[in-house]
Amino acid sequence: MTASRFILWLDDAAAPGNPILGGKFGNLAQMTAAGFAVPPGFGITTVAYRHFLQTAGLEDEVRRVRAVAPKLELSEIKDETADLLGGIASAPLPADLDEQVRENYALFERKTGVESVPVAVRSSGESEDLAGASFAGQYETYLWICGADSLIHYMRACWAGMFGEAVLSYRQDGDTVIATGDFGICVGIQQMVPARAAGVTFTLDPINGDRSKIVMEACWGLGEGVVKGDVTPNRFVVDKVTFEILQQHRSPQTEEYRFDPSQGTVGLVPVDPARQDAACLTDELVLELAELAKRIERERGGAQDIEWAVTEQGEVRVLQVRPETVWSGRAETGHVATSKSPVDHVLARLSGVRVAGSASGED
Amino acid sequence: MTANDKDKSAPQGASEAHSPAEGRFPSPFDLRPPEGAEGWEELYPYYVLISPERREMEEGKFWFYDGMHNPEPIYPFDTIMTENWWVAASQMASRVWPIPLAMGIDHRIINGYLYISPNGVSDPDEIARRTEEFGRRAGHYFENWDEIYVEWVEKAKDCIKRLENINFRPLPDLDPEENVFSHRGIYSTHDMLSTYNRLIENMFEMGSYHFEMLNLGYGAYLTFREFCQHAFPGITDQTITSMVSGIDILLFRPDDEVRRLAELAIELNLDEIILKDTTPEDVLAAIGEAEGGGQWLGSFENAKDPLFWFSTGVGYTHSDPVWMDDLRFPFMAMRGYIEALRRGENIERPLEAILEKRARVTEEYRALLPTDQDREAFEGLVALTRKVFPFVEDHNLYVEHWHHSLFWSKVRELGDVFVAHNFIDDRNDIFYLHRNEIYGALYDLLIGWATGSESRGEIYWRPVIERRRRIRDALTTWSPPPALGKPPESITEPLTIMLWGITQETVQEWLGVDADAAGDELRGVAASAGKVVAPARVLTSSEQLYDVQDGEILVCRITAPSWAPVFSRISAAVSDVGGIMAHTAIISREYGLPAVVGTGYATTTIHTGDMIEVDGTEGVVRIVERVAR
Repeated sequence: MTASRFILWLDDAAAPGNPILGGKFGNLAQMTAAGFAVPPGFGITTVAYRHFLQTAGLEDEVRRVRAVAPKLELSEIKDETADLLGGIASAPLPADLDEQVRENYALFERKTGVESVPVAVRSSGESEDLAGASFAGQYETYLWICGADSLIHYMRACWAGMFGEAVLSYRQDGDTVIATGDFGICVGIQQMVPARAAGVTFTLDPINGDRSKIVMEACWGLGEGVVKGDVTPNRFVVDKVTFEILQQHRSPQTEEYRFDPSQGTVGLVPVDPARQDAACLTDELVLELAELAKRIERERGGAQDIEWAVTEQGEVRVLQVRPETVWSGRAETGHVATSKSPVDHVLARLSGVRVAGSASGED
Repeated sequence: MTANDKDKSAPQGASEAHSPAEGRFPSPFDLRPPEGAEGWEELYPYYVLISPERREMEEGKFWFYDGMHNPEPIYPFDTIMTENWWVAASQMASRVWPIPLAMGIDHRIINGYLYISPNGVSDPDEIARRTEEFGRRAGHYFENWDEIYVEWVEKAKDCIKRLENINFRPLPDLDPEENVFSHRGIYSTHDMLSTYNRLIENMFEMGSYHFEMLNLGYGAYLTFREFCQHAFPGITDQTITSMVSGIDILLFRPDDEVRRLAELAIELNLDEIILKDTTPEDVLAAIGEAEGGGQWLGSFENAKDPLFWFSTGVGYTHSDPVWMDDLRFPFMAMRGYIEALRRGENIERPLEAILEKRARVTEEYRALLPTDQDREAFEGLVALTRKVFPFVEDHNLYVEHWHHSLFWSKVRELGDVFVAHNFIDDRNDIFYLHRNEIYGALYDLLIGWATGSESRGEIYWRPVIERRRRIRDALTTWSPPPALGKPPESITEPLTIMLWGITQETVQEWLGVDADAAGDELRGVAASAGKVVAPARVLTSSEQLYDVQDGEILVCRITAPSWAPVFSRISAAVSDVGGIMAHTAIISREYGLPAVVGTGYATTTIHTGDMIEVDGTEGVVRIVERVAR
């Protein structure tokens, strides 16, 4: 009876691709099942979310907000959602849900052997399955959350995030896709990886769509720096066929995202001076990450965008995978302008006409 | 000369190397010879010298230094090699095929070094006319490639056989009596002259075969390479070559034989004798006395001819040691293999693994192409390039190694004749004479023999040779700037790009480098990925190869393919000059060492002992720490 579960662990047999985990966590469960090194965690499922809305009596209000949202100006959204957001923040949790969240967090503490185990809390929406929509940066991620009370607080924040200005006004091809659909949300709970370095890998070159390359951006500390864009990352380009490192762009990094014990939260802290000018990944790690990306792309049958972290011990962890959406949606154009025999291609070349590119004025 | 001599004089040459303010390279007329080399022009024929009466033409051309073929000042006799391809390579592009965009490649010798300048075709009507002819003629070669290559090998072998049969002996006291009793009517003098003519003609014959198919082979590779670079931007040359290069090419044979001899030595318990650090002659003598030594020596002798006619240089210079005459090189390699075998390593080239990788890499790239038309073009070009590549890779063994090594040994035989007739003291002094001067000297010798007078040559040539030796030694201290004259607006001539790796970017790089202020960082072509920090070993001649120590980084003008054995000792390679199809690139890639080629100034900026970092991924060489000098 998985359909009625409030909690589903990533390594549960029923988890891979299960819609009640939403897009992101459903993918991660598939990755876990395929044997990739995904940090352990569980989802507080879309079933739990709907159960909460129902017992809190918020379903009608949700329907009302969704109905009016497409007609609202951005400035009007806040007023219109105030009651709903207040309800999500303060309505009592159903006892069974509250109990199960606390029980499973306690189980997480036992499994990891860490009291108040720090976790990342993030939304994993059903809407992420919509073809071609990345929703990049539309949902908040809460890092280094410790203790069940705090976890529940940020779980509610994730639910409320469904009705934030950015999400309700997110348009695809002119439609307010999320506002109009009855999408649920899963809240993913995943053990924090105290990253020495972290980053994002594309299994194609995001600049020109070249599928023979693996491109990664990486920085010291947590990957927030790369994702948010406030740290200039190191950039590596690897040949997907031969695994040669074709390019490395390094820039000095003076600040990194890291858990700051004095603040009790994740923030920008100075990078160890010995590391500031050094590449945050060794060549061996770049190649390991590239091979990982190639395997993930094969496993998932298409170009991917992968978030990962490297532990202080140098172990790689997969934090997120999702289909690449920009180039994958486009029809690829060919390189050869005119079909010719190979000899005619060579004869043409020695007359100054290249096989590829000359027709479109490139080169 | 030693590397140190060179070091002291480097700044002098380097200061001339560059005039960035004008955005052009130095004029060929502004270069001064190094001290002691005044009058160097007498070493060379008039037509290879920069001509003041054609100043405008000379200065208006873009000349670049061909350190790839001639890294050292050219000996007067050795100009036969550069003069050969001045005509033989040029005529293939200009008059035989004719390649629509290209005429020939012009030559000048400046301060002893070869500068070349490709001539292009720009008139659209002319290009169209040439295109039609080219398609018909070159098409015939491509369509019938395999058969023509079989014929080529027969021609090459026959040419070598005739060269083997050319012999020079001092003239006898009395002409042989068979010339009298057979009523021949011509005698030793005529034989001597005609044998010399045959020697020179034989060289030009092989020199012509050299280029019969080469340009077309390069053309197919260039087309495939550009297609790959367009479809997979940033793909490395190493990867492109690995998809089409031969697996069991002839050029590996000499090294294969050395491996086999190493294995046999261990099998016969002779390995200790070979590992002893004595001369090859002593080793061979000791093996002869050892049990089982006869079997090994038999195997050794079998392997030698013809595979040890193998030059340690590019084969264009008589002074590059040849295995046949200098066994130190194969023995050095053999010791390396014996030590590896004793450590339990496998020294065989993993042919099956290479083949499997080639198939996988080719298929993966093919699958990455977006359209059927692209995949069809890719498959066709892979197949065609694989067909032409055996010639591209193997012609070196027939031409530069086997034929040219034998040719130099025949010239030395003629040197012995001049020694016997008291013209010179050392057989190698003959190389201080241009081939046309030798024809004159030979006639002078015949006069002396015929008349019974002392030939003037007996007192004439020694001082000339001494003067020329001093001049040439002085020229070795000069550092040729990479380019002269007017930078080209664009480089479209395919062979310049293919052979010498010269592109618009290279030219801009050269223009931007101030050799005096080059500092501690050099940029070049990233030829093989990886990064290494180690002491540098700067080589300016093949002779210095024996100085190389384990783990050092080889810094040279250009590497030769037959330096392969030394690649098992070094940790990285850096060169001044480098094109992707340079004879050398083919083999150096095999070794997978970090390499940066085409740095322009590495041998003048870096000194032996300097700690340097080679970044073969970025194409950068950094001097980490300079040795005190």
